[in-house]
Amino acid sequence: MGKTLTVDSTSRCDVLIIGAGGAGLRAAAQIGEQRPGTSIIALTKVFSPQKSHTTTAQGGMAAVDPKDPVDRAIFHMFDTWKGSDCSADQNVIKKLCAIGWEEVVWLERHGMHFSRTEEGRIAKRPFGGHMLDFGETLAFRACYEADRTGKGIMDTVWAESLKYGVNFIGQCIATELLCKDGHCIGAIIFRYPEGKFFAILAKATIIATGGKTRMYLVSSNCRGNTGDGLALALNTGLPVMDLEAVQFHPTGMVGPGILASEALRGEGAILRNKDEEPFMERYAPTAKDLAPRDLISRAIIQEIREGRGLFHEGHNAHHVWLDLRHLPKEVHEKKIQEVCSFFKRFVGVDPEKDLCPVTPTAHYQMGGIPTNEFGEVQGDTHGIVPGLFACGEVAAASLHGLNRLGTNSLLELITMGRVTGEGVVEYLKDAKDPDGLPPDAGHIIFDQFSTYLHAQGKEKYAEIRDTLRNLMMEKVGIFRSEKSLLEAVDDLGELKERATHIPPGTTCMRTNQDLWQIWELNNLITVSMVIAQGALARKESRGAHFREDYPKRSDEFNYHTLVYMPKFNTVTFDKRPIDMSIFEAKGDHYELFDYIQREY
Amino acid sequence: MSISHTITLEINRYDPDTELSWIHTYQVEASGILRFVDVLRKINDEQDPTLAWPSSCEHAQCGSCGIIVNGKPLLACELLVKDAVEQFNTHTFKLKPLTIAPVLRDLVVDLEKAYDRVHKAKPYLIKPAPPHRDGDEYRISPKTLEIYSEATRCINCFCCATACISSHHHFLGPNTTMANMVRLMDPRERARKERMDILYREDGVYRCHTARACSFVCPKDIDVSHFLALGKEGKF
Repeated sequence: MGKTLTVDSTSRCDVLIIGAGGAGLRAAAQIGEQRPGTSIIALTKVFSPQKSHTTTAQGGMAAVDPKDPVDRAIFHMFDTWKGSDCSADQNVIKKLCAIGWEEVVWLERHGMHFSRTEEGRIAKRPFGGHMLDFGETLAFRACYEADRTGKGIMDTVWAESLKYGVNFIGQCIATELLCKDGHCIGAIIFRYPEGKFFAILAKATIIATGGKTRMYLVSSNCRGNTGDGLALALNTGLPVMDLEAVQFHPTGMVGPGILASEALRGEGAILRNKDEEPFMERYAPTAKDLAPRDLISRAIIQEIREGRGLFHEGHNAHHVWLDLRHLPKEVHEKKIQEVCSFFKRFVGVDPEKDLCPVTPTAHYQMGGIPTNEFGEVQGDTHGIVPGLFACGEVAAASLHGLNRLGTNSLLELITMGRVTGEGVVEYLKDAKDPDGLPPDAGHIIFDQFSTYLHAQGKEKYAEIRDTLRNLMMEKVGIFRSEKSLLEAVDDLGELKERATHIPPGTTCMRTNQDLWQIWELNNLITVSMVIAQGALARKESRGAHFREDYPKRSDEFNYHTLVYMPKFNTVTFDKRPIDMSIFEAKGDHYELFDYIQREY
Repeated sequence: MSISHTITLEINRYDPDTELSWIHTYQVEASGILRFVDVLRKINDEQDPTLAWPSSCEHAQCGSCGIIVNGKPLLACELLVKDAVEQFNTHTFKLKPLTIAPVLRDLVVDLEKAYDRVHKAKPYLIKPAPPHRDGDEYRISPKTLEIYSEATRCINCFCCATACISSHHHFLGPNTTMANMVRLMDPRERARKERMDILYREDGVYRCHTARACSFVCPKDIDVSHFLALGKEGKF
């Protein structure tokens, strides 16, 4: 019955980075700068780090220049706290808001092509939820490179890593974390072209695999954002945090769900319903179209539910309009060039003349692998896992709590990437080379892959994938209830079982797309189960998590959800307290960092 | 709006285990607003799960899904069925892998190898200018930036390198050369001598025949040949 799977060969390095996107490679560049000669291997699922999903981020990176005449870091901290619906960690907010500008300058000095003001300074634009004077007026805080800021960031950290001789391994996935005596000592990886497993032993390992929203029918995420890093942590017996908080970006393009950046609204675009009414004025009288994303996404669905939405025949989807017709030609051509071309190419509308159909799209996970403010991974509520770090979207330190403000993700990627790099350098001072492979290395993953390769039955990958994406959208989407979530948990259990009966199209190991996708599908189902379970347990509405049966925020749930699921649907819950250190320090304006009301 | 088309795809297949190549013909009923990546997924879902094809972001921002359709290198995520029918004036499409790197399977080529060329252009600042006296960002006027910012939009999809008549023979290729040009035009780069050495090396810009195929096929509408011409003229 086929081939026996084995570890083909073993290599060693100082630092293994799983996922070579913005966060992973910012960490790599930091290590390279601070500790030249460190041997670093960075794994990516795609062909080159430059193809990572970071490259699709559009609008900007929030950072307050300490010399700014009107903006102050404390306003940014407050906005982030309020935006999170009082569930982010204040030690992390304080730290990252304070170093944001340094990182913008770091990127610029390392060659990023930021857009400029007439004086040649880095240009800034307003973004949702970012305001001056504790919520009074819009702040110009998002530093940007046209509407391709993520690409600018990705190109910069990729090129810097190249400069420091980071060894990139493309087209591969990390399938198992290697642990010995409670330390992480590397990973088993699987390379797509050869279809072989390799072991990499490392003194320190960083998980930076990014986002995961491919389990939703409408998603702005790339094909490979399938929750691999989260599944890796869960399968190792580690907890994940706040996964119930899934951000739906209000303006995905009808059809493929491609992101239409908030920068469009930052430049003045307006949401309209079928009567062309600018409806956000009713939901958020002050912030209007630049209210936080969770609020606008719910408003759009509300409009559609109450019959003021529209229906797109071609894509068979409900939507509202985004109006960009009144923006100057100069803005269309220079500041939002990429997004305008997406509307023209993918939707067939010209934003200069036509209204653009948009609908909420699953976009970002606020939660992730819990870390402390140094990027060290939390093993349980009491301690860290030596040798294991995590940063970027896959991790939760947590800057975002249960809702993230636009442009705070790029801020988090870069600042936590750097901080994690610094943490790794510190850790390497006393770290020893791992002895060798643990005797049982790879056994679990070989069993798993053998099961996929030899599966018998009549199930089809596509049917299970589509069922999953529909059920997550309907039952674990923007609006949730006990009934819908209980159904989802049952459905997911059934899907997991069905997924063991998908015979792969071929058992040849090299570039076996089917095998690769079945592995991804299993990760998606695993992570979906944790999202649903977390959502079921959180009987309140907070940030992006909205329960129709519990529509208000409740102080009872002033904590982070921790979930362990070492075996599918064997779930254990735990809690992590929310860090309130800004409030507790009793400094200026501390009272604003209490559990405040959230209105815009 | 959503008129359905019956299209025929003749796809180059390659099996790395048997090293066999063949052409497989698929008939697909596809709505006009589907993109070619959707059509390929539809083939996987409904007809043949073994057909391998590359993609990632699927909205023309990562450059992973380059393929050749009826002779033209393009991004499969950008080509809508209705536009393909109109543009190529046919319902039959020949799909081939890019020719810029070894084929791994079917339409998937080893772009990782193709990237070795880009690495040669050292896409970072080799020697950055000293920081501004205020200690913050270097000042660059929008006018200066505008001269080269189009070139920074390149996503290294290698469509231009595939279309280029010289890039298969001793030429670093249009995208790689343009990556070097970006840094030559970037006022923050001080390593100009080293940059010019890259530009004018044996496999450098003078291998370009100015056929301008790069500009013609660029999915991001970058006038690649313009930047190569500046390189030849020494205008940077």
